[in-house]
Amino acid sequence: MATEGGGKEMNEIKTQFTTREGLYKLLPHSEYSRPNRVPFNSQGSNPVRVSFVNLNDQSGNGDRLCFNVGRELYFYIYKGVRKAADLSKPIDKRIYKGTQPTCHDFNHLTATAESVSLLVGFSAGQVQLIDPIKKETSKLFNEEGRDSATGKAECRPACQSHVVSLCLPHQTLPLPTCHIMRTYLRAPALPDVWCWYITPSDVWREWTVSSSYALQIERLIDKSRVTCVKWVPGSESLFLVAHSSGSMYLYNVEHTCGTTAPHYQLLKQGESFAVHTCKSKSTRNPLLKWTVGEGALNEFAFSPDGKFLACVSQDGFLRVFNFDSVELHGTMKSYFGGLLCVCWSPDGKYIVTGGEDDLVTVWSFLDCRVIARGHGHKSWVSVVAFDPYTTSVEESDPMEFSGSDEDFQDLLHFGRDRANSTQSRLSKRNSTDSRPVSVTYRFGSVGQDTQLCLWDLTEDILFPHQPLSRARTHTNVMNATSPPAGSNGNSVTTPGDSGPPPLPRSNSLPHSAVSNAGSKSSVMDGAIASGVSKFATLSLHDRKERHHEKDHKRNHSMGHISSKSSDKLNLVTKAKTDPAKTLGTSLCPRMEDVPLLEPLICKKIAHERLTVLVFLEDCLVTACQEGFICTWARPGKVVSFNP
Amino acid sequence: MTVRNIASICNMGTNASALEKDIGPEQFPINEHYFGLVNFGNTCYCNSVLQALYFCRPFRENVLAYKAQQKKKENLLTCLADLFHSIATQKKKVGVIPPKKFISRLRKENDLFDNYMQQDAHEFLNYLLNTIADILQEEKKQEKQNGKLKNGNMNEPAENSKPELTWVHEIFQGTLTNETRCLNCETVSSKDEDFLDLSVDVEQNTSITHCLRDFSNTETLCSEQKYYCETCCSKQEAQKRMRVKKLPMILALHLKRFKYMEQLHRYTKLSYRVVFPLELRLFNTSSDAVNLDRMYDLVAVVVHCGSGPNRGHYITIVKSHGFWLLFDDDIVEKIDAQAIEEFYGLTSDISKNSESGYILFYQSRE
Repeated sequence: MATEGGGKEMNEIKTQFTTREGLYKLLPHSEYSRPNRVPFNSQGSNPVRVSFVNLNDQSGNGDRLCFNVGRELYFYIYKGVRKAADLSKPIDKRIYKGTQPTCHDFNHLTATAESVSLLVGFSAGQVQLIDPIKKETSKLFNEEGRDSATGKAECRPACQSHVVSLCLPHQTLPLPTCHIMRTYLRAPALPDVWCWYITPSDVWREWTVSSSYALQIERLIDKSRVTCVKWVPGSESLFLVAHSSGSMYLYNVEHTCGTTAPHYQLLKQGESFAVHTCKSKSTRNPLLKWTVGEGALNEFAFSPDGKFLACVSQDGFLRVFNFDSVELHGTMKSYFGGLLCVCWSPDGKYIVTGGEDDLVTVWSFLDCRVIARGHGHKSWVSVVAFDPYTTSVEESDPMEFSGSDEDFQDLLHFGRDRANSTQSRLSKRNSTDSRPVSVTYRFGSVGQDTQLCLWDLTEDILFPHQPLSRARTHTNVMNATSPPAGSNGNSVTTPGDSGPPPLPRSNSLPHSAVSNAGSKSSVMDGAIASGVSKFATLSLHDRKERHHEKDHKRNHSMGHISSKSSDKLNLVTKAKTDPAKTLGTSLCPRMEDVPLLEPLICKKIAHERLTVLVFLEDCLVTACQEGFICTWARPGKVVSFNP
Repeated sequence: MTVRNIASICNMGTNASALEKDIGPEQFPINEHYFGLVNFGNTCYCNSVLQALYFCRPFRENVLAYKAQQKKKENLLTCLADLFHSIATQKKKVGVIPPKKFISRLRKENDLFDNYMQQDAHEFLNYLLNTIADILQEEKKQEKQNGKLKNGNMNEPAENSKPELTWVHEIFQGTLTNETRCLNCETVSSKDEDFLDLSVDVEQNTSITHCLRDFSNTETLCSEQKYYCETCCSKQEAQKRMRVKKLPMILALHLKRFKYMEQLHRYTKLSYRVVFPLELRLFNTSSDAVNLDRMYDLVAVVVHCGSGPNRGHYITIVKSHGFWLLFDDDIVEKIDAQAIEEFYGLTSDISKNSESGYILFYQSRE
């Protein structure tokens, strides 16, 4: 019971923690926040979110970071573990009125030192495309009014009760420096429309607009809060937007949104979802409307190969679609309550969700079933993310294991469990013998309980029976520690750089031909193939590290799983999606029918609800609702603070 | 709250029709009535609980069925039945009703409530459910005795030892099993206890799920609190845990937000943020529980607004026909499900003044 055992020391806020790979340390000087460093009063506002991008420049300082706090949006140079954060000079800063930014995503394909494309979703339903380097607003979606980037269209309140927007792109207005994006004015009474205007020197300016032109602002596509916005992987122009209404829309930045409400035509309908196309003479946005489940669509995530889309909803369902054929691949139901977050393993084989049942749930993409749940959080889980750099394959080796990690005080109370899992591993090894297989996926989660949990997903969970052929399949996919193309919000990688893959240096390469043949599902062949090319970089240093790691044991309790229950699992057939009767089916197995993971570590790291968790190469990044973005150096990556 | 109150003062007359408009004539559920209750001077503790119970469907149905029975001597239950009946048979769909008879009966029956002070809504809920159960039990007893008298069947042994279960029990009663393991002889003794609601401790930044897990966590009885072991015939250290053995049809959860502060000699409010999902299953069930994986849906929440048990205000949010309504004495508003978030509590420990969930009513899906 890692989370219990209470006591005062559990309520302290941790600034470091130890796992089997070493000491993670909070870097206080690498903390990003609003320039005044004042905690944001977070009651009732949207979650703080963070997006990263790498500008592909030669300097090596190409990392940029964007985050929203309340009604503000900041864009900074991210110096990571290397240098202290300089908060005095955000590259861009925007303040919105009447609507708040809720989420954002960079296009990694188009990012350069001179320009980035950042999508921002808002609480009132709009989506903005901005360039925080050029300090421009290029496009506005789901807010119909006059959209004239060149013309001179001025607006004013038509009457007291009507709100009107203003578009003023032209150079004739006396702007302080460079050209400022469009500015929106609104009557203060109505929260519908928004305005901002900020100069590079942080001066607020009110626009006084004489007018000849009145416009009413309407959001014709969806009026509900934007919950998630992401570029479609590999595309420079397509993006997907999810709303709390339960709908998702596919947009193309090149198209307009039209001045009338879209007419939809059914394209495909399935159990609890429908996809419509937008009927129109000229091509317009949205290209597609997805209606998924009941209640808010809380988050979606593209698979690493971009072919599949995992959606989690307030109705408690995970639904995985084939994105191109708009077909439902599989579903899962939470134990209870809404699902709030979702992520893919770097090889696309597993999906992890977190939700209002305080659990993390691991779901197998190939088998379409729950393979484990994890309990460690004391409240709802707000973010889950795989750590592609710690996910690893270990070679099998003699069974010696040292007690070296006993030195780590934080791990002491895991002792009993560790012994247990060691035993199970030992016996299994004896029976299956000498294959170079030990897959360990690492993922993390943060929650409203202000805790960070790290989890290991090990082979005894992944393959309870260790069937030979399948285990082989998995061997080669995860043969290295380099990250996947960034769909997990992990954006410092450069997916645009899709040249020939570097020659794999991993010793497991010769197996790869066999491995694909053993693959269960043909749709995954592509994913595996690309996975091999993407993951096949392995530095010598990393390998050395991992030889140390393998001696450390895993910490989940295996006490709950008898061989009987695993047998039962395999008999469970695929059930109908009747939410009331899902328990005990593969959609939602009973608690005792799947392994229950315990967190590797479970630490209170903030005063406020945690809303961000991103794994980068040399650090992990967390953020809380107060607007503090924290960088935790990975073991051995602390430069200036190491004793 | 203040904003809402100001708004309500301005809208006294128009509020009811505004609600009807808000819901929409087509969406307005047939045979459903949304009526505010007049506050007779700090009676919001009572109004809030009554509204919550009215929207616990099995409870409402039984109260209305009781009303349909033949005329009885006035008691708290007949007053409640009259009130519910008068709401349910209103011509208008929305409006305001003064629960005058019920309040004066309540004040007559219990000194605790016979004043104009703010009372604890949970205490009132407890009192009301127990009183109703007593009334029903007494009636059953009477009926039986009458029946026996008629049949002349006087020689049967008295069955008074075990009071009969009433519909209040069928709806709200669950069973806890209290397992105690003597650390000396390892003997486990278990004792069952019935409950009509569960009172759980609250912690900052947790979920109701966690509070329930905590409620059932193993606790060690030692030093002052040693346990008398029947096997050892002496006081011994022991481990104790309490788990749910029978899950009730309606699970009423009371969050212990009022804590007595020794230094201050008064109660203070814990405004902790405790999130509660719309769907709930229990983790803290005993292995022999019969219906342990019941799925519950949130149907009503009594919310305490303010800084202490004897000041502040109570309001109630309820789910009815798929949408959420807020009852603030005589004011009824439709709210967005998302607005429930406002009633989780505060993450800042500085402010005690909050609008936070105080009693949660979860109804079993089956």
